[in-house]
Amino acid sequence: MPHVPTNNRTMFWRIIRGLLGSNRSRLLVVLLALGTGAAITAALLNLQVDAKRRLTTEFRAFGANIVVSPRQVSGSNSNTLDYSVRQRIPTDLQGQHVGVLAALYVVADAFGPGSQTASRLVVAGESGDYLYAEITPHNSGSHGGIFVSSSSGKPGCWVGIRAAQHAHLKTRDLLTLRMESREEICEVDYIRSVGGPEDDQITVPLDMAQRLAALPGRISLLQISAPGTTAAINRNIVDLTRLIPDADVHPLRQFTETQANIYNRISGLLTATVALVLVLTTLCVMAAMTNVAMERKNDVGLMKAIGGATRRVLRLFLAEAALLGLTGGILGATVGLVLSVVLGKAIFGVAARLRLVVYPVAVILTIIVSIVGAYPLRRLANVRPASVLRGEA
Amino acid sequence: MFLRLVADSFRRRPRHKLLTGAALALGIAVATAALSVSLDVGDRLAREFRSLGANLLVTPQADSLPLEIAGVDYRPVDGGAYLPESDLPKIKTVFWHNNIIAFSPVLEVGVQAWSSASKNALSPGVLSNATLFGTWSNHQVPLPDGSKFETGIDKTNSWWRVFGRWFSPDSGECVVGENFAKRNGLKAGDTLNVSTRSHVQSISLRVTGLLSSSGPEDDGIVAPIAIAQQLADKPGRYRKLYVSALTKPEDDFARRDPATMQPDELERWSCSPYVSSIAYSIKQTLPGADVRVIRRVAEGEGRILTRVRTLLWLVTFASLLAAALAVGASSAASVIERRTEIGLMKALGAGSHMVGFLLCAEQLLLALVAGAVGYTLGILLAGAVGAKIFGAAPQPSLLVLLIILLLAGLVTLVGSAVPLRRAARYEPAPILRGE
Repeated sequence: MPHVPTNNRTMFWRIIRGLLGSNRSRLLVVLLALGTGAAITAALLNLQVDAKRRLTTEFRAFGANIVVSPRQVSGSNSNTLDYSVRQRIPTDLQGQHVGVLAALYVVADAFGPGSQTASRLVVAGESGDYLYAEITPHNSGSHGGIFVSSSSGKPGCWVGIRAAQHAHLKTRDLLTLRMESREEICEVDYIRSVGGPEDDQITVPLDMAQRLAALPGRISLLQISAPGTTAAINRNIVDLTRLIPDADVHPLRQFTETQANIYNRISGLLTATVALVLVLTTLCVMAAMTNVAMERKNDVGLMKAIGGATRRVLRLFLAEAALLGLTGGILGATVGLVLSVVLGKAIFGVAARLRLVVYPVAVILTIIVSIVGAYPLRRLANVRPASVLRGEA
Repeated sequence: MFLRLVADSFRRRPRHKLLTGAALALGIAVATAALSVSLDVGDRLAREFRSLGANLLVTPQADSLPLEIAGVDYRPVDGGAYLPESDLPKIKTVFWHNNIIAFSPVLEVGVQAWSSASKNALSPGVLSNATLFGTWSNHQVPLPDGSKFETGIDKTNSWWRVFGRWFSPDSGECVVGENFAKRNGLKAGDTLNVSTRSHVQSISLRVTGLLSSSGPEDDGIVAPIAIAQQLADKPGRYRKLYVSALTKPEDDFARRDPATMQPDELERWSCSPYVSSIAYSIKQTLPGADVRVIRRVAEGEGRILTRVRTLLWLVTFASLLAAALAVGASSAASVIERRTEIGLMKALGAGSHMVGFLLCAEQLLLALVAGAVGYTLGILLAGAVGAKIFGAAPQPSLLVLLIILLLAGLVTLVGSAVPLRRAARYEPAPILRGE
């Protein structure tokens, strides 16, 4: 057959237009199926990518996920680290802030106002970022900002609820801490209740604890809240071990492991759903195309009779399916991405970030679905022009 | 005649009916699977979160302030109060006993430890100070109804790993923290001697494994609680108890003080497995105990769980939507193709209602058969997905079957109704002429 490109192409598109326009309502059904499939695929894929980021953020509310502590030497319980270790920790990773809280723990005697009996308790000197999303009245900002300089001019401190009960303390009381002959005075900023060992402690600025313990520039441990997935956190630990060879760097595994497990479950579920939705969409398209195949028997017979090769006829249908997939995919994926932003806001309280890589993936998946769904049209390859022309349907 | 028409339509085009039926069945299978998994998934995820560790901490009420630094209590053995171990089985008798999945008592003692190379504490070969954590592992708690409940620190702190095996309950065995083992050159199978710092009474323990806890236990020894009680001279006592309970995420109602509630509110409060109501019921059961909610774990867990659940419902909704679409589209397609037949029937005098009724009956019959196949398939699918993702298949539930039956019937009818209404408008004459 002589090849006449321009004419052929014009004719090709004209036939496709004719095919698409032949039955509007069915076209709509197929487009609706493909569009819905694409929308769900795009929305779920985007949420899947976003869920990873959201979960890592949510899990940071549990607090530190890495702890740097002095390497224990045989026969000693009271080792400390030098504060300079803090400077060796990178301030951000992958553009996200790394929270670091330095703490020095000392055992001291606490006296409330007018009380002569001492309560022996743990005083935690802290400095750095506040790492916990705490459910307490004063839930604000960083640690540095929370120790408000009070009316008395003394530094502020936090008192755990049980420590407060023992020492009979209330907010705005002046508190005296004594260790051996050294004394420090602070004002109670607020009473905290978190259900952890903090409930039994008094938290003061780091320098006060250092003066109290006569350990200037020393800390007991560093708590680090590193961003990222479990794998990223584990890589950080390897890096930190290299940066701080003289200390023990270890993950708080209960948080990192749970985070990884939960994400794997969710991600598995989302992937399974996307796969099922795609299979269903294929079935929808197939059901519609079976009818199309029957209706087009006569057209195909005629095309073949006037010299259309089987392969060219099938190529027509393939192009039609791909075009449908492309249209459905582009429309559906757009709707899906918008949807995922809205849903992300509904679920996590923060709009999901758009991952544009999801867009082409969803469109390509839809085109594949559409082409696979057009499988019933293959039957048209066996149509015999003679019987069609004779009218034997 | 009616039945004959229906039967005939199935017989005449088995292949076509099969395809429509397959689409219906698959749609229903997916809907079944999605519903079963999502009904089941909440509990599984809640259980997954329990790997965060205990969310309730029980301590003696009349206690001195613990001198806890980095997870180790430095109070002397004589300071502070203790709780009786014999009360512990009562925890499994509280109203929410099914939600309490594990608990383990802990008694810490500062000890001196030396390995078997040396004969006694006065001339030790390798001597080091360490904390001995007395607790349970694989402990059988006898319950009042005669059965046993197995629990221990290996259940509450499931992120702990033991290289080797856990010590057997009530034995002279122990596991040692990995850092402690490294410092002292210990390995599984070695013998370790421990004694309190004050007196020379010593106990020999066989090391059964090395522990990696990512906590202070890495530098210590974990042994049966009886050993710690003997060393501390506190028989049958413990100092703190970790409880891991499945809870419902707290809302504003849950945070209210039960003392200020009306009787009906109190009833509703204590009949919801909020972490605070479980704490309340444990406190009622254990005399002299103070039960605290580990807020950091409980709040974070509740918040994430709520979000993840919303996400899962969304996913379920998406698969239901896709399934409904598939079922509807295949019903619609199977009606559209019957054009000529409808025309003929009408030409022979059948009313639109009669035709619609006939086609609906056919569709419903198909939906019923396909639905049964689809439901079975869906349960299998849910089992496969559940096993793959959560390691356990969800139980088939009657609720899912009912919802699916309703959904399948409704969607099939709606899917058929749209083209049927159009079919009712067909003029028989042009169809018969073959136009």
